[in-house]
Amino acid sequence: MSARPARAFLAVTAAALVVAAAGMLSSPTPARPQAADVLLNVIASGAKKLNIAIPDFTLAAGADPQTLVKRVPEVLGNDLNYSALFNVGAGMPALPVNNPAAVREAWASFAASGAHAALHGLITIRGDRVEAEMRLYDLTSPEQRLISAKKVEMPAAQARRLAHKMADEVVLQFTGELGIADTKIAYTSVGGGGKEVYVMDYDGVGAVKMTSTQSINLSPAWSPDTRSIAFTSYMGGYPYLYRLFAFEKRPIQLLAGYSGINSSPAWSPDGKAVALTLSKDGNSEIYLLTVATGALRRLTSNAAIDTEPSWSPTGREMAFVSDRAGPAHVFVMDAEGANVRRLTQAGFNTQPRWSPKGDGIAFTSRQGNHDIWAVNPDGSNLRRLTAGPGSNESASWSPDGRHLVFQSSRIGAFQLFTMLADGSEQQLLTKGPGETTSGAWSPRLP
Amino acid sequence: MARQRGSVLLVVPLLALTVFLVGCPKRPATSVASAPAPPASAAPSTPSAPTAPSMVSPPSTPATPAPGTMTPATPAPAPSATPPKPSEFMASANLRDIQFDFDKYNIRPGDAKILDANATWLKANARNLVLIEGHCDERGTAEYNLALGERRAKSTMTYLVAQGVATNRITIISYGKERPMCTDKTEACWARNRRAHHLVKAQ
Repeated sequence: MSARPARAFLAVTAAALVVAAAGMLSSPTPARPQAADVLLNVIASGAKKLNIAIPDFTLAAGADPQTLVKRVPEVLGNDLNYSALFNVGAGMPALPVNNPAAVREAWASFAASGAHAALHGLITIRGDRVEAEMRLYDLTSPEQRLISAKKVEMPAAQARRLAHKMADEVVLQFTGELGIADTKIAYTSVGGGGKEVYVMDYDGVGAVKMTSTQSINLSPAWSPDTRSIAFTSYMGGYPYLYRLFAFEKRPIQLLAGYSGINSSPAWSPDGKAVALTLSKDGNSEIYLLTVATGALRRLTSNAAIDTEPSWSPTGREMAFVSDRAGPAHVFVMDAEGANVRRLTQAGFNTQPRWSPKGDGIAFTSRQGNHDIWAVNPDGSNLRRLTAGPGSNESASWSPDGRHLVFQSSRIGAFQLFTMLADGSEQQLLTKGPGETTSGAWSPRLP
Repeated sequence: MARQRGSVLLVVPLLALTVFLVGCPKRPATSVASAPAPPASAAPSTPSAPTAPSMVSPPSTPATPAPGTMTPATPAPAPSATPPKPSEFMASANLRDIQFDFDKYNIRPGDAKILDANATWLKANARNLVLIEGHCDERGTAEYNLALGERRAKSTMTYLVAQGVATNRITIISYGKERPMCTDKTEACWARNRRAHHLVKAQ
């Protein structure tokens, strides 16, 4: 039984990484009892990713009409590949229950073909509940040390989420920070006589229509607790700011219905306030709206357009767009509206989005076409993340700051794409019938 | 992943507003909204709903008493105030659109003549309210264009007011880049989309 898993794994493992694994074997460094060390050691050996073998899960108890023993590891494997931290070898037959010798034999075989780690999943199905246990092994240690064992339980209908949670746990074990598979992306899509708000899993699966207003809806923005999404809607005729509740049967709430535009919501990191653009006092200015009381504080005062606030993760500063210097540029101010400084110099720059780690601000720059750029908050390290084709706009960070979702017209009408924070690995995420825009990556779900 | 979602009719008593027409009282409007989906396949650990607030959560206290500040929601409708819904306005052959240069909102000399004619008609037909829509071309981002479209509507309004059209007959709205007249990726099409469009409603 050991030969087949090895072949299967090799089929999906780059030869270069086998070489890297050979380097590992000759490494004098003994394995230590921290999973993160496994990844560090592998990377130190020259490999860019950690090879992890994930055989089909073992059915420990219960009936499995949905073939979760295959579906869960498939979704989990996709998540880990997407993380760009792992090369996943999958599709190998399930390991037997309670047969340590067989497991050891399989691990030895995977290790010989280049795997650095292995995940043994066991599924127990009780009625409509599924429990999955994951056992992570370090295959770079001679004794194939068990790194971690963890159980996750979900309704069977949420098997994909079960897989996402396991993937995030694997990433946590190897990097010290949870992965981002258990997240959602909100967006707008044109169809049915409107531009409606939708929410889908981060990997593009399971889109749910959140509004049915047959009107224009714009700029969805997640609250930090992921419960609600603020957005601008013309559902009442004029562009007012509302919020919907993503996972609860609660009606849409009006947040701001001032005369003029009520747009560009950005939740404060503590979730108590929304920075937004209002034009009630004559032209577009940025205000801070305390959600519980409706109290309003004006942050900018300038004859130019001021719009599109984006909070720093500390809540102490805000990036925003202003055309006070001629063409639109990205500026930064403190959360009280003082100490304004200009961040961008060339082009026409909008849609600043402060990274969740605080170390970068992505924005959309028009220099010919529209493309996504990023810059450090001190103005250094200006870098271009996309270079066409088509227009590339409206970036939104994943909660770990390692990925961005953005919209691109490179294949025709706008669709959502994702990329790594350095602009690599650009890939199509949505294939909507209508134009799909304004992707907003949720924080991690609770 | 098919999910069912409830649809709940929601009466949104809009807030009493003071628009740019200072002192013009506004009517709370009524709108129908669709409820968000029930718990999606995610979120078993999502906390259950806390004490539900009212259907809308308008500011309970105005931030400042200055004109233009939102006033607390009035539960009772006060009809015959506030701007009518945009859908109550209709196109008029008597009023012509004007166009704008790229990323600009100033009234060009040729367009000023069009607005002069529009103002003349509006003054002669004083029972008509006018809605000015500001629009942008597809280039540029949605949020910025919302602000730019409003500037275009506003500069159009300012011009008409200067020609003697009463301020309280004019309502403006920005659609940003959301309602293009054409979708070709040509300068001719973009130029048509960078417009201020006039609609009227007989009182």
